[in-house]
Amino acid sequence: MYQHEGEDVFVIDGHVHWWDASKENIKHEGGEQFIRCFYDYHTGFTPDEREWSLEEYRKYDADRMLQDMFGSGHTDMGIFQPTYLNEFYKEGFNTIDRCAELGDEHPSRFVVNGRFDPREGEAGLRELERQKEEYDVKGVKLYTAEWRGDSKGWRLDSDEAFEYLEKCADLGIRNIHAHKGPTIRPLNRDAFDVADVDAAATSFPELNFIVEHVGLPRLDDFCWIAAQEPNVYGGLAVAAPFAETRPRKFGEIMGELLYWLGEDRILYGSDYALWEPEWLVEAMMEAELTPEQREEYGVELDLETKRKIMGENAARLYDIDIERQKEILQDDGISERFDLADQYGEEATAD
Amino acid sequence: MSRHQRQPIDAGTVRDRLRRVTDPELDRSIVELDYVDELRIDDESVEVEFTLPTAWCSPAFAWMMAVDARDVLETHPAVSEATIRLHDHMHEAEINEGVNDRLAFEDVFDEADGDVEETRRTLDEKARLARQYRAVDALLEAGLKPEQIVRLTLEDVDVETDSGTSRDEDEDRAVVRVDDALSICVEAEPIRRYVEKATALDVVSASTDALFATPAGDPIPADEFETVHKRGRLAGTNMSGQGHVCENLGEARIGGPSAADD
Repeated sequence: MYQHEGEDVFVIDGHVHWWDASKENIKHEGGEQFIRCFYDYHTGFTPDEREWSLEEYRKYDADRMLQDMFGSGHTDMGIFQPTYLNEFYKEGFNTIDRCAELGDEHPSRFVVNGRFDPREGEAGLRELERQKEEYDVKGVKLYTAEWRGDSKGWRLDSDEAFEYLEKCADLGIRNIHAHKGPTIRPLNRDAFDVADVDAAATSFPELNFIVEHVGLPRLDDFCWIAAQEPNVYGGLAVAAPFAETRPRKFGEIMGELLYWLGEDRILYGSDYALWEPEWLVEAMMEAELTPEQREEYGVELDLETKRKIMGENAARLYDIDIERQKEILQDDGISERFDLADQYGEEATAD
Repeated sequence: MSRHQRQPIDAGTVRDRLRRVTDPELDRSIVELDYVDELRIDDESVEVEFTLPTAWCSPAFAWMMAVDARDVLETHPAVSEATIRLHDHMHEAEINEGVNDRLAFEDVFDEADGDVEETRRTLDEKARLARQYRAVDALLEAGLKPEQIVRLTLEDVDVETDSGTSRDEDEDRAVVRVDDALSICVEAEPIRRYVEKATALDVVSASTDALFATPAGDPIPADEFETVHKRGRLAGTNMSGQGHVCENLGEARIGGPSAADD
């Protein structure tokens, strides 16, 4: 557990991956371009001395991930967000079955989310049922820009997507994480569109829509939609590293998010292995608004707010009782391996 | 078309012209962003080479910048032909050929759905809103009240709007007529930048049109002033935030192994 000025902060990383972009797994040049694109994001926002080599970055083993997340990374729990990219990678990039290998070994540490693609029709619906049954998923990650045959993407407000969202509601899969990021190919339809989230959120008030990367480069459209739709949340992956590289700009973005969404609807995420939690959590916890920003936005980024962003908000969405969870984590395999039990113990009484 | 004997255009003038071309997503000049690598002038022909921060920057945005650079140079009387060369982009061949041969975006990228001009309009409207925030902020700082600001019309402000010409310092203030009795003097730059974008988009055209507008382009009801103003701030935060992403990706590209071992 992270300690901030003597106080505990329970960290749930809302966005982690266990991917395989090894050369052996790539079947289309898009797969190579994709991991290189990720790698540019990695090097662009990582302190020089913490950068991985491209070879390390292509595929990392379970030990490294556990060490980076829990050994040195100040993280208590992580939520796996699958990204399939079956057209690019033979076995997929970051599938639920791969993530669940690690999740099953450390069920107290990982939440495993599923995914769907409405272009898969009836078979996709059956697959969603399987994910619920086998892994009891409480959320799905959606990658609307994913290729499939001739199609270069899909929309969350299509009839087909609604059928899947209906299915999620039936199965009790409440958390819909939609990736909204830059477009690689000339599909200018989705180049600035977070509008499909709006229609879906209105139609499914029982579901929570977490827009990953807070819609950047469409933060403005995202915030405006989130201001009207109480079930829309912002995932901080990609925005979080600003805390390290450009703290003032990070303050502005947090100012906007706190102004339009409020402190209960923002979720921290490292996007691991895009960025490592160790320096990222530290940067997030050290981040402050300038006095001018506090005045301009009329919001605070204080310890209570950070606690919500770093873990409490995700805990609420995923039915995690943090106090109860600390008891479980205290003597799980990870605490044993990294000698963390003390962190989760009873707080020492000062007498 | 008959041509008079002229001095060939110089590199400084070409740069000044290119300053008017913006990255549509960031609303900042491609010169300021350092996208322009090289200029070649051969009598009435000008060639511009440019590179974007990543090889996968939106082809639609790359297209717009290339077209704008071409047009802004070809409208100069001393230029008869401008050629634009984009480098190190996934779609540089299509973009260079398309732009220099004056093809339509939709014909070059037949998988694109939606119109590049519509995309441009959406981004321009965001840029207008962000510029409006800065202009309105300058007026608030000068002591104007929201109800006075929403009543201003185009004829109430006096600024030169040709960004290509240099100005002396005396002109760096704009006069804003609040009503018959009161005029104030404010920093000209934010007002000028706003008026340029708003008139280019026809959000404001007649002299009696309301100067400032909602995101939809309508006059601002006084009770919506605050929300509209905050949305302008948000549009600006988005652009400068994305600017930081582009800048970091650009640095990663120049320094990183992905560029070296390609």
